[in-house]
Amino acid sequence: MLKKLKDIVRKSSIHVCIVNCGGCNGCDVELVALLSPRYDLEQYGIYVHNNPREADVLLVTGAVTEQWRDNLRRIYAKTPEPKIVVAVGNCPQSGDVFAQEGGRVLAPVSDFIPVDAAIPGCPPRPSEILEAVLTVAPGALAAKGRAQDARKD
Amino acid sequence: MILPIGPIHPGLKEPLRLKLQTQGEKVIKAEIDYGYVHRGIEKIMEGKTWQKCIYLSERICGICSYEHTQTFAETLEIISGVQAPLRAQYLRVITNELDRIQSHLLANSTFFKTLDHETLFMHVLALREYAMDSLELLTGNRVNLGWNVVGGVRMDADERHFNAILENLKKIEDGFDRHVALFEEAPIVALRAKGVGVMTKEEAIKGHAVGPIGRASGLKHDLREEHYTYMDEFDFKPIWRKEGDNYARTLNRLYEVEQSIDLIKQAIENMPKGDIRTPVDIPSGYGEWRNEAPRGEVRYMAETNGDLIKRISIRTPSIMNIDSCARYMLKDVATVADAVSTYASSDPCIACTERVAITDIDTGKSAVKDFFEVK
Repeated sequence: MLKKLKDIVRKSSIHVCIVNCGGCNGCDVELVALLSPRYDLEQYGIYVHNNPREADVLLVTGAVTEQWRDNLRRIYAKTPEPKIVVAVGNCPQSGDVFAQEGGRVLAPVSDFIPVDAAIPGCPPRPSEILEAVLTVAPGALAAKGRAQDARKD
Repeated sequence: MILPIGPIHPGLKEPLRLKLQTQGEKVIKAEIDYGYVHRGIEKIMEGKTWQKCIYLSERICGICSYEHTQTFAETLEIISGVQAPLRAQYLRVITNELDRIQSHLLANSTFFKTLDHETLFMHVLALREYAMDSLELLTGNRVNLGWNVVGGVRMDADERHFNAILENLKKIEDGFDRHVALFEEAPIVALRAKGVGVMTKEEAIKGHAVGPIGRASGLKHDLREEHYTYMDEFDFKPIWRKEGDNYARTLNRLYEVEQSIDLIKQAIENMPKGDIRTPVDIPSGYGEWRNEAPRGEVRYMAETNGDLIKRISIRTPSIMNIDSCARYMLKDVATVADAVSTYASSDPCIACTERVAITDIDTGKSAVKDFFEVK
């Protein structure tokens, strides 16, 4: 009974933190556009507040720059379990145009923290981001939560 | 005490550290740390053809991505001594102004968000979507448009596009009046914004403030006045105010949106016929060009070696605006909450701001230097 209740709660209230670790801002702008009345992220029970200590989902944008080498791991460690990481855009997956000779980026993000889902695009459309987060986040969070409970028992 | 805010913080969109020296709730001094998103774009561009570089210049900043490509293209057009055809110049003006509309509305909505005025935040973001629709209709993309090439623009537009854009602008205008009334007449915004974060004209000159931030403090400087397309073809006067506080900065941006709508209407009305692109042969040489981005002056200095870019230096507006924000606007702010909203009202864009700080190991001094000075 309690486990079922926990499942429902985890699926229906998802707190999101956006971590820009060195991109061009384009993906962040599209994430802000998600808050607008046209897409309205909050009607799906997703709340963006940019606080890693309360977040369930980390939306990582940008190729990892020198300054984020340790900070990204620290932010991931601060986020409470269960947590998932969604990489938004091309940069966290491959470094996009910045991963060339002369660029100071350390992409991909998966070298630093485990990534659960990735959305390609430069930048992806808001509807694509929304669809990906809604497909992955509730199920993965509930599954990770169940596994965590099982370990405690 | 020193209160650090950021790099990841509920109040900030982009990674940056704000160090506020506070006495009780009052902010005495502020310091800003950057360097979180430095990617080394100028270095990557060296030795590449313009076809590759224009793609990189677009990804300097996602919010004002359009203006960077236009300035890059115009710099290379100056080196090669050609000008884009008149129709291409008109199409550039339309895209530029649409980009300005969406950027200003985004900046204002962020300011309202930091004031915790959720209603205005939603209203403004809803209006912004119409500008994004128009951009997508015209160029095919929402954020990184890929619309400029050296010597013109990539695609032509026809009557149907223009009619759809005019329809979208009508929707923005309708919502806009309601939104300005909500802003100007409601006391709740005025209480939090009037007289907060004041920067006088002298301070704006000392801090090299540009764009709407400088214009709200009384600097009548808009580079669109000096641009050949705007000078010859359009009826344009810069909008400026005297007060220099958060309220003036926000209102200045709002009226610039109205002006941009007017400029787009002028462009669509007088749209000339003809080519949209001229072939360009780039010689070796040096050129520089300045343009008015949504946040102020963008300057490109480029040196070419035949088809290849030998060296390029880019100066973006936010570096001056953020600096003058830290030095003058945040100097005597009454509360920490006001400090965050003052920071948001200066419309910071970190992605284009990043610089390398060079530290001299012998003396321990560190300084931010122009790329051309570094040997």
